[in-house]
Amino acid sequence: MELRFKGVSKQYGDVLAVDNVSYSMETGVYGLLGVNGAGKTTLMTMLCAVTRPTAGEITWDGKDIFRLGERYRDLLGYLPQNFGFYPDLSVSDYMMYIASIKGIRPDTAKKRIKELLEMVGVSKYKGRKMKTLSGGMARRVGIAQAMLNDPKILVLDEPTAGLDPNERIRFRNLISGLAEDRLVLLSTHIVSDVEFIAEQIILMKDGKFFFTGTSEELTSGMEEGVWSCTVPSDKVNQYMQKYPVGNVKHVSGGVELRLLSKTPPSENAVREEATLEDVFLLYFGEKAGDEDAEI
Amino acid sequence: MLKCELKKFFSKKTNKAILTALLLGAVIISFLAVDNMSYTDTGEEITTGFSKITAGRRIEAEKNQWKGELTPEKIADAAKSYHELKQSDSEGVPNLESEKTGPPLDILYFAAKIYQTENDVILLADLDRLAETDHGHIYDTYADNLQDVAVEYAKTPEQEKLLTEQFGKIKFPVTYEAYDAWEIMAEDAEMYIMVLVVVIGFLAAGIIDEEFRTHAEKIFFTTKYGRSKAVRNKIIAGMLATTIVYWAGIGILSLISFGLMGVSGFDTPCQIDDPYIMYTITKGQRYLLVVVCGYIASLLSAAVTMLVTAKMHTEKVAVFIPILMYWVSYIVVRLTVVDAAYFVPYILVNMDNAAKYYIFFQIGNVVFRLIPFVMVLYVAVSIILLPFIYRSCSRYDSAKSIKKRSKYLEVK
Repeated sequence: MELRFKGVSKQYGDVLAVDNVSYSMETGVYGLLGVNGAGKTTLMTMLCAVTRPTAGEITWDGKDIFRLGERYRDLLGYLPQNFGFYPDLSVSDYMMYIASIKGIRPDTAKKRIKELLEMVGVSKYKGRKMKTLSGGMARRVGIAQAMLNDPKILVLDEPTAGLDPNERIRFRNLISGLAEDRLVLLSTHIVSDVEFIAEQIILMKDGKFFFTGTSEELTSGMEEGVWSCTVPSDKVNQYMQKYPVGNVKHVSGGVELRLLSKTPPSENAVREEATLEDVFLLYFGEKAGDEDAEI
Repeated sequence: MLKCELKKFFSKKTNKAILTALLLGAVIISFLAVDNMSYTDTGEEITTGFSKITAGRRIEAEKNQWKGELTPEKIADAAKSYHELKQSDSEGVPNLESEKTGPPLDILYFAAKIYQTENDVILLADLDRLAETDHGHIYDTYADNLQDVAVEYAKTPEQEKLLTEQFGKIKFPVTYEAYDAWEIMAEDAEMYIMVLVVVIGFLAAGIIDEEFRTHAEKIFFTTKYGRSKAVRNKIIAGMLATTIVYWAGIGILSLISFGLMGVSGFDTPCQIDDPYIMYTITKGQRYLLVVVCGYIASLLSAAVTMLVTAKMHTEKVAVFIPILMYWVSYIVVRLTVVDAAYFVPYILVNMDNAAKYYIFFQIGNVVFRLIPFVMVLYVAVSIILLPFIYRSCSRYDSAKSIKKRSKYLEVK
């Protein structure tokens, strides 16, 4: 069970959205991390055979996914970034429709839908129209539809975007539970989404993979140290210009900063353990502060 | 899968509103058709209000006193009866609608049109002359006139042969039965069909457009059957929805109208009011022709709008195409002198007039008349377009979709 992409590129006019990426994935959770516009969604759509690469090939167990066609799509569960649904259908009718186009027999589909709606916690809303669901509930239905065919490959593109912190935690746990015996590719620009559940992390920037490995490998590979120090309020700007600053917290006697530096930034600086968020700050800099990235 | 697709179609709020409006339209047009019938009682009072509903039936009952074959003797009786009424009327202009013993004007006009071939307009003087005419040879005159028409309107010997053959199918003597309901309904049904074909185009386009408009297409096209059976079912659903909506609308319209006005005159030949048309069909058959051609127009409308939506990934352009096809092309037909212009889809929704045209399509020695030709042509076009819709959908590429949408927005 191997999803492999070799030299994959995708060009939109003058923009090279994905630039010659190669990688191989097997079972487990893979976190694809990058700022908005890094090329994550384009890569996802190619992996889901929604769009073809301009160059390179994507294979499943050695066979081209576009040639496999129906057989590949039968293994696939996909929740796109902009989860579109049919607003006037009820939740259960929507699920039945998706089940039908996934080739699931109606009697099997009914049982599966019941299980999945219970799993994602929307079974009591099954009669409600999709358009009346909150963003969080709709996303849960989105996960459920992706799981209908018990996919071997589960592709989730920004599944927690726009959700409140509670919903996000709930989602993380849900995704974590789904990872058994399948390949889960989770794309996000929210560090905490992947930090706890992804076994492998792929950092993507400007269409390229510039780091792949575990969370520990990522943090231990940092040349910069993570420091915590309290500085006078009037010096905060100087520090922010000189170092990548992750946290700014007002405390008595000044401002406590969490920043990245190869050497201690001040006499009172205390070395902290690096987290994935620090890695993100290091590699993506200010862009890491895009919407929702602080969570 | 098809059941789910249809459920999706019929559960859509916009579609529900449109379908309700269409059915309501059918009811309104039915009552307008009934309202077109006016019955004048012996006191020359035109019925109004609720009693108007029965006007059709009452007219039918009175006119059908003259029902049967229009033999020369019956035509002579009608002419004589008209003359007597005229003599007894103080102003010399009898009101045949209030004179319950008088002949239907339909019979008098039929006879007058056989004697008066040079002018389409029949004057009262032409009717007056009928009483003085010997009708013994009316059908010989009719047959001679038909032959003259065949020679005049045929452009090739093959066309003349076809016209002669068609005219040869007209049965003499022509039979008569009151056909007012069919006459009114042929016109009113066409008016309703003109609306139906445009609305059906919009509804069918929506089946494809919904995926793109709601951004549900990425999930759709990544499912197992998203590029094969599911697409095929979308197309079938489009055609099935077209069929259901069209026949439900026409069914309600016909049921109410004919239920109130009656179905008398189904077997009356169309030659009764236009003796020289080349289609040997009855009034009832002409109504069926109008609605069947309307159905073909609806299928064509659905196929074209679905294809354009599948190509453009939006229905915003597609929904205007039926308007061009059926409403704007009317102007082309009106302004043109070229026969080829009569083959535009508009003809499908204008069968009532199309039957009057002497338009042919000839390949070698084989001659086709306008109506059967456009029927076969547009059924074929509707079917031929279906694989293209399938192809466009099943080869969906989100990258192209982004490009197309951005282009559309740029143009806008």
